[in-house]
Amino acid sequence: MQKTAILTRFREVANAPYAYLRKLKSTTGKQMIGSTCAFTPEEFILAAGAHPFRIFGESESLSGADAHIQAYGCSMVRGMLEDGLSGKLDFADGVVFPHACDSIQRLSDIWRLNIKSLHFDVLLPVKLDTPTAKNYFVKVLQRFGKDIEKALGVHITDNALKEAVILMNNLRRRLKRLYTLQSEKPGVISGSDLAAIVKAAMVMDKQEAVTWLDELLVLLENEQGSQEKVKRILISGSVCSHPDIHQMIEDKGGVVVWDDLCSGTRYFEGIVDEEKPLVEAIAGRFTQRYVCPAKHLGVSFQMENLKKLVSTHKVDGVLFMILKFCEPFSFDYPDIKEELENMEIPFLLVEMDRHNEVDEQMRTRIDTMLEIL
Amino acid sequence: MITLGIDIGSLTAKAVLYDGKQVMEKHLIPVGYNSKKAGVKLMEELLQKAGVDQTDIGKIVSTGYGRNSIDFAHKAVTEIICHGKGIHHQMPHIRTIIDIGGQDSKVIVLDKRGNVANFIMNDKCAAGTGRFLDVMARAMETEIHEFGLLSLQSENPSKISSVCTVFAESEIISLVAKGENREDITSGIHLSIARRIASMVKRLGMIPPVAMSGGVALNVGLVDALQKILDTKIETTPFSQYSGALGAALLAQEL
Repeated sequence: MQKTAILTRFREVANAPYAYLRKLKSTTGKQMIGSTCAFTPEEFILAAGAHPFRIFGESESLSGADAHIQAYGCSMVRGMLEDGLSGKLDFADGVVFPHACDSIQRLSDIWRLNIKSLHFDVLLPVKLDTPTAKNYFVKVLQRFGKDIEKALGVHITDNALKEAVILMNNLRRRLKRLYTLQSEKPGVISGSDLAAIVKAAMVMDKQEAVTWLDELLVLLENEQGSQEKVKRILISGSVCSHPDIHQMIEDKGGVVVWDDLCSGTRYFEGIVDEEKPLVEAIAGRFTQRYVCPAKHLGVSFQMENLKKLVSTHKVDGVLFMILKFCEPFSFDYPDIKEELENMEIPFLLVEMDRHNEVDEQMRTRIDTMLEIL
Repeated sequence: MITLGIDIGSLTAKAVLYDGKQVMEKHLIPVGYNSKKAGVKLMEELLQKAGVDQTDIGKIVSTGYGRNSIDFAHKAVTEIICHGKGIHHQMPHIRTIIDIGGQDSKVIVLDKRGNVANFIMNDKCAAGTGRFLDVMARAMETEIHEFGLLSLQSENPSKISSVCTVFAESEIISLVAKGENREDITSGIHLSIARRIASMVKRLGMIPPVAMSGGVALNVGLVDALQKILDTKIETTPFSQYSGALGAALLAQEL
């Protein structure tokens, strides 16, 4: 199949994720379980025969959510709530709330009181870098497995869980290979296509996503990147899903060679060790990889991770795309800023009102950063 | 080579014609609702003023919010880079630029060679912009060009606590009702906007010497208030409104 045809299929899913999911439900009869955060252990949902998908907060207006959450609350959480309240998610059988940050915890409470669906809380440890945290995490996952079994009326077998782990690992390896190709041969795929693929992978039937990715990777392995010298950009932050951001960067001769976004690499970074006891291995993936500043992995972990990404991907400039009122990021930023200044790495902070909105002022900032590089 | 720099801002459009050695002519018009039309009109009027034919222009660079709507420009560059270039050309020693425009405010730090090293921009709120001064001047029933002068006459500036344009306006109306005099209220207004700008300067990290560019640099009251709050001399140029367009014309020389 032609590259553009494959990309079009991914884009169709990314542009209308809920339409895809409605169709998937009607053709497979599977129960649809939404997730509000990258900490959702999707393996358990797959092993229970249900379909896991990420809720993005697609709504344009937030008028319904504003009745429950103040305007200076996280817009991602407000957006997800709006999707729920407005009926956009009426196909969903249940929603998972990993307690990563305060805003998602409160979202869980509001959801339980206002939207009728199966409800799963995953009570994560605050610190991830202690031995007790790992033991606790294993118990949290065992509990989540039991909750799913009870709510969906199924039994999760070891075999099914193992198959789910292998499937998710396969998906993660392919998404990572795709990102690595973009870093090795910048411009081999457009940034907005890459973002659409990761978003689609969070929504789609996982096996179907693996198959499509295999078809695409075969083609891209043999293609060349941009013939001109590009400015290599790293996007760091929370969630940024607007394709125009990539277009803005590419219009000015830049290419996003890596990111640490919840809507990007955080979905696929880290592989579950298939040789270890399964639940411990799933917990191990969450406690060892870079996840989110809402969770503690040691004082310098986040900074060291950023430095490693900058050197591995030969980054020319770092673009911080941070959702307004995302406290975990805002608290970390001053220290990161100081460190990057000391290292003389150019960077720019852009605060977004919504993850899916861009404006001309944002363009002025991003254009200027690329003109400086 | 003759080059043209066009700066389409949110309120006014500015153009500068540069012959490789000096500024030949400059021109300013209001933008109105159509920045593309404003760009064409601006160029036509400038060329007529300068007695130059369009075919004599080597390169054109556009800047400002409307930069991408100028389809006859050879390149579009952001106003941050252009203000940096324009100010560096006029005052090569300057390291920090405060640019207050009609709908946003920016602080720009230059490196020793005059290249933009870092910047910060406020564009979400009218407080700290030229628009805030417009609204306040109207509330005080003065003309905008007299507004700064009025503030210099105060000996006891009023306290304005609100940072929001809308609420600051109602705060001012209550000060008027209390009988505070116009000079003191006006001075209080200038200090309140200067504090707002100063917090941006401090967040970015000020490197002296400091200059102000953009139309608001012509407001002596604000320059004075900023000098007091930042405790540093603020340099200005009579050409401040055209600094972005000049920077664009200079960048066009390099194309």
